[in-house]
Amino acid sequence: MAPFPLSRAQRPEGAAGGKAKQLPPARTSSRQPCERVAAAPGFRVRVAAVAEGGAGAARLGDTMALRWWWWRWCGAPSRRAPALGSLPRLRPPGPGCRSPPPPAPGAAVCHFTQRSSTFSFPKICNIFWRCSKTASDEKYQDPFQLGRKDLKNLYEDIKKELLVSTVELKEMCDYYFDGKGKAFRPMIVVLMARACNIHHNNSREVQASQRSVAIIAEMIHTASLVHDDVIDDANSRRGKMTVNQIWGERKAVLAGDFILSAASLALARIGNTTIISVLTQVIEDLVRGEFLQLGSKENENERFAHYLEKTFKKTASLIANSCKAVSILGCPDPKVHEIAYQYGKNVGIAFQLIDDVLDFTSCADHLGKPAAADLKLGLATGPVLFACRQFPEMNAMIMRRFSKPGDVERARKYVLQSDGVQQTTYLAQRYCHEATREISKLRPSPEREALIQLTEMVLMRDK
Amino acid sequence: MSLRCLLSDELSNIAMQVRKLVGTKHPLLDTARGFVYDSRNNLQMRGLVVLLISKAAGPSTAELSFQHNMVSGIYSSQRSLAEITELIHTAFLVHRGIVNIGELKSCDGPLKDMQFGNKMAVLSGDFLLANACTSLAQLQNTKVVELISSAIGDLVQGIYYENSKSSEENCLTDDIGISTWKEQVFLSHSALLAKSCQAAMELAKHSAEIQDMAFQYGKHMSMSHKLHSDLQPFVKESSSDTVAFSLNSAPAVLHQEFLGREAWIKQIKEAQGKGNIMDYKKLQEAIKAGKGVTSAIDLCRCHGSRALAALERFPPSEARAALANIVYAVTRFP
Repeated sequence: MAPFPLSRAQRPEGAAGGKAKQLPPARTSSRQPCERVAAAPGFRVRVAAVAEGGAGAARLGDTMALRWWWWRWCGAPSRRAPALGSLPRLRPPGPGCRSPPPPAPGAAVCHFTQRSSTFSFPKICNIFWRCSKTASDEKYQDPFQLGRKDLKNLYEDIKKELLVSTVELKEMCDYYFDGKGKAFRPMIVVLMARACNIHHNNSREVQASQRSVAIIAEMIHTASLVHDDVIDDANSRRGKMTVNQIWGERKAVLAGDFILSAASLALARIGNTTIISVLTQVIEDLVRGEFLQLGSKENENERFAHYLEKTFKKTASLIANSCKAVSILGCPDPKVHEIAYQYGKNVGIAFQLIDDVLDFTSCADHLGKPAAADLKLGLATGPVLFACRQFPEMNAMIMRRFSKPGDVERARKYVLQSDGVQQTTYLAQRYCHEATREISKLRPSPEREALIQLTEMVLMRDK
Repeated sequence: MSLRCLLSDELSNIAMQVRKLVGTKHPLLDTARGFVYDSRNNLQMRGLVVLLISKAAGPSTAELSFQHNMVSGIYSSQRSLAEITELIHTAFLVHRGIVNIGELKSCDGPLKDMQFGNKMAVLSGDFLLANACTSLAQLQNTKVVELISSAIGDLVQGIYYENSKSSEENCLTDDIGISTWKEQVFLSHSALLAKSCQAAMELAKHSAEIQDMAFQYGKHMSMSHKLHSDLQPFVKESSSDTVAFSLNSAPAVLHQEFLGREAWIKQIKEAQGKGNIMDYKKLQEAIKAGKGVTSAIDLCRCHGSRALAALERFPPSEARAALANIVYAVTRFP
């Protein structure tokens, strides 16, 4: 992966600028490069914005280059020994920020205590930067707050769709709809619905059919989770036992089928054949994605394309197509449908890439499911594929799907020694950037900003 | 099953993988074998019935401008629906063949094989279902999607009841009467065909009345079919070796209803003998001695006549005659 091309103005020059001192104190080992960063002219403006929380909001344009460059120099542990002795003291948002601090800092701090957090410091600065920017332009809103009203009864409504007479079957189907999941997908759907409605006719209301799409998306997702757990013989998810662990595989498969049929029924009731086609595509992609996971490619280049295709089918397709569905319901312009689809697709792929990274960097308790699960299943995800370029001896392990004893541990070590995690994260950032670029084509609205914010949250999540 | 589906990469991938299961005890192997070798059970009866009833109902009378390609008196959408019905039926045959990992014993073979078999079963079943959903969406008819989705939901509930019973300890039966039995069998055996027949009528825009008649035919014919197959162990003349039968089959359930639960449990225990091994011959004699078998035959014929009554509403044709013949076949006893 070639580094992002940097303009002359952004390259580090000369000594530390005075403004750098107002940044949250970094780890001592990385202070100097960051001071150099601060000296770059374009950057100083943004630092000033952070420091003073003032109205000098920078444009989004150079975010990508900056972020990439930032963590290449400051955050990548492979270049300097990570000194994690002290936590960074988080500077509270400046006076310009009228809103409550975003929830992410807490998450970032927790993440910082993990072994190889590579992006905490830039992330924290990023939060304040974004905070100040949005404070000056629009009222800062936590995306989850914006969509909260529409999704308040989401899980209750899903349970109502699962009309089944047998107590046990109902129990199994309701098991994951306990409100403890992230509800990430329905959130995106609802925000996208509003953004499209506003773009079309300035209406901030979410139509009933659009809300149904959010419900259906979450149901399809859950049905696939239940089946995936049987296929992978998993025994814990979201911090509790899986359905197959409690009730057995036979009933678990039936429960998944039932949730799927209920989703299909709800889909039919919307009464729109286009929407049915769009969302049925998801069901097909989910299954094909599982099949892609079964097979493996010999050639290194093919492997990466195969991995991206699998990622799209298994994760991004649901988000992309649900966004597309609500945009169809909200706005007749095909260009808007395409924007929604592209946003969903890029966010979805980024989401999965970060998920694959977390499998290496996070610990099991925090994730809610066992870590290093992908390796144990024989799957070579993003970090592994990147690491393989630095350590060609991993090729043999990939081909035999880490089946020999000790393979999983060795592979894990290689990955953590290489820059696989960073490369994957960088790739995720690029996808997020693309998503932001797409969604910015819609008319401005709090929901559009929230969707942009969501791409940040995808990158910064730790479980 | 649709040729297109059979020739897909995914299914050939599965077929290769399923070969690894040869020599293990995973049920998927039996299911797969049944598709390839056992032509008696592989009649694809459901698809056939959907096609026949589409033909029997004839072209749409409601909308004269209703244009679709009609080949041999059947619209292409109806043909597609027949395929979909078979896909769903097959998907659940496959999904039925999953084993509970927690209940495996060492005599079942290596755990790895069973896990692998489960994985293949879930994947292939899902693949077939996904194909069914995609084809359903292509029909561009929301009412049909609603009908078939609800049929899938019914099927799941029906199979769930099947499962619950077979996992009972000591092969004891549920304390259910025949009416509950009928409800559960409707879900697991009739709902799919009945709703598919109705959906076929909807595709040709036939009236609500015709749709209902098609539903009734599908429902009663498949009930007869289930009763017929349940009765087989009891009506076969020469059987030196008695085949095991389900204690929740129709004759047994009716027998229990006549005899009362306690007496029935006593008979089961007597047949179980010392070693807890069921002597099916003895139990069969006990059931034959009672009124269970004749009752079941009556019930079968009753459903058969209701199916025929529904057929009366369709104009006479070869297709209608064929459908009637199917009813005669499933109500015939030696």
